[in-house]
Amino acid sequence: MLACADVAKTYATERGPVEAVKGVDLTIDRGNFAAIIGRSGSGKSSLLAMVGGLSRPSRGSVSIDNTDIWRLSDNQLAQFRNRHMGFVFQFASLLPTLRIIDNVALPALLGRARVPADAYEAATQLLNQFGIGGYADAFPAEISAGEQRRAVIARALINNPVILLADEPTSDLDEETEREIMDHFHAINRSRGMTLVMVTHNLSLAEQADQVVHIAEGRLAA
Amino acid sequence: MASRSGFRFLLGSLALQNLGRRKPRTFLLLAAVAICSGAIFTGAVLMRSIETSMSVGFTRLGADMLIVPAGALTNITAALLTAEPTDLTLDDSIVGRLQHLKGVQKVAPQLIFRTDASGYSRGGDLIDLIAFDPDSDITVQPWLEQHLDRPIREGDVIVGGRREETLGSEMLIFGRPLTVYGKLAKTAVGSHERGLFITFATLAALRDPMRQICGMKAPLEPNKLSGVLLELAPGATTQQVRFAALANFPGIKVVSAESMLTSIRQGLGALLDGVLGLMIIMFVSTALMVSVMFSAIITERRRELGLLKAIGARRTQIIGMLLAEAGLATAIGGVLGCLLGIVLMRIYEHSLVYYLDRMGVPFVWLDGRVISIIAVVCVAFAALIGAAGALYPAWRASRSDPYDLIRAEI
Repeated sequence: MLACADVAKTYATERGPVEAVKGVDLTIDRGNFAAIIGRSGSGKSSLLAMVGGLSRPSRGSVSIDNTDIWRLSDNQLAQFRNRHMGFVFQFASLLPTLRIIDNVALPALLGRARVPADAYEAATQLLNQFGIGGYADAFPAEISAGEQRRAVIARALINNPVILLADEPTSDLDEETEREIMDHFHAINRSRGMTLVMVTHNLSLAEQADQVVHIAEGRLAA
Repeated sequence: MASRSGFRFLLGSLALQNLGRRKPRTFLLLAAVAICSGAIFTGAVLMRSIETSMSVGFTRLGADMLIVPAGALTNITAALLTAEPTDLTLDDSIVGRLQHLKGVQKVAPQLIFRTDASGYSRGGDLIDLIAFDPDSDITVQPWLEQHLDRPIREGDVIVGGRREETLGSEMLIFGRPLTVYGKLAKTAVGSHERGLFITFATLAALRDPMRQICGMKAPLEPNKLSGVLLELAPGATTQQVRFAALANFPGIKVVSAESMLTSIRQGLGALLDGVLGLMIIMFVSTALMVSVMFSAIITERRRELGLLKAIGARRTQIIGMLLAEAGLATAIGGVLGCLLGIVLMRIYEHSLVYYLDRMGVPFVWLDGRVISIIAVVCVAFAALIGAAGALYPAWRASRSDPYDLIRAEI
């Protein structure tokens, strides 16, 4: 289960502090597909970053399966992200100088939970599962945006995380590719029982979720 | 496929590929480090070579002191192997009196006559004829590298280490045949390198033809010396003997090895310290430049670093990757610098060193093993300054939240 208690985030800017998230309480049950929606600048991405252990909250706590992630040390948090979380960002987040197979295997290699041979075997299986096995040796620039996104999802799944966090994962994709990606998310959510938290401003995508969390001006909206 | 690729291999590959991603910038970085490393490598090798040359030149000096006429110029690089050619002379009676001076163990008289009229040198070059006493000599015979299998005698000549005459060959000096009895080792002291060493008896035999050709010059007068080399008794100090000599023999000048060596070593030491200081400044400035450059590189790659952190890279892994990249780049620069330095030294060897050599000032290069060690140290330092330069920006990036890096807000 994912639980946020009074989570807030204030950014220091040249014009003074900006409170992006103003104390959010949120619970998402294990295996649920939750969509966080809101207008641009509403604080939804900041909330997701705090949930994902990517941005330290100014106050409040985030627990995943009873682990208060922001009480972990730097290395423990890195390991937690590596073993228990998968990320799909809104930008093309593959390392351009690594092959697709290397990109997908990277989290497994970073965490050292598997020997390299196992990591690459798992990466190969995932690439085949997402229909891009033929591009294993290609570099990111050599494949389409949709194929890149599928590679990113494969990378997010390599360590079999308990939660998958996606920040506007289809914002730059055409409708057909968007539908394919969403199909993958549903399949992952159903077949693996994986908690899925997706930030989007697309209401039609949010309607596909089990739980919709509406953020407005840094607060949960009614 | 890539099953043997581990995380370290990937990091190394990332570092290499990142360097290749911005070729002009990488080229500039390599060029800057190569110039710095090349200058330091060349400077270090040349300075060590100069130091070795000086060391060879001076540690082999046999005499502790040299007595010359007051007013005689003394070339300190050669002074304690021979006196200098001069028209000023000492009376040879000083030899016997010096032998009784407290603290003096050996007295080795020499007379030097420089001439371009010996009739021997093919190009009319200057020749230093150096007369010495084989029985009391302390600076000529110790340098004999090869000689005929008999004692030296009247009519023999010993040639300097850089002369080309062969043993047993005949030299016609002032119309008199002299037999090449021996050849000196290379001394790194000019007068010894090209001088012709004869006994006083041989000089006496040559005196008449020399006077006929050169006229009556002071060094050709009977019973005259250009200088006297002294070896001190154990326990005697140069100060003690210097004061005693000056008190007893007016009109002389005393040159002692200790003060010369001290001043030369001190001068050389100061020079080396200065060079060392310059090297440190170059290293620091290169490290600062690398630091600035890597700050820019890291700023440009903050999203990539944020992504690596997001998927589980630890701070040490981020720092390690960036330091490896910087160290690799500057180490390559260091290798290029050393190669550049070797080319520079080859040019140096073919110009200045050759010129010095011709002037009778031999330049002793360090041996290949020492040069290799200096090169390895330079490359290691280059890698180190790369890593040192990248340390702060890498540390700063590693402690940022992944989301801040991804949002490009470091």
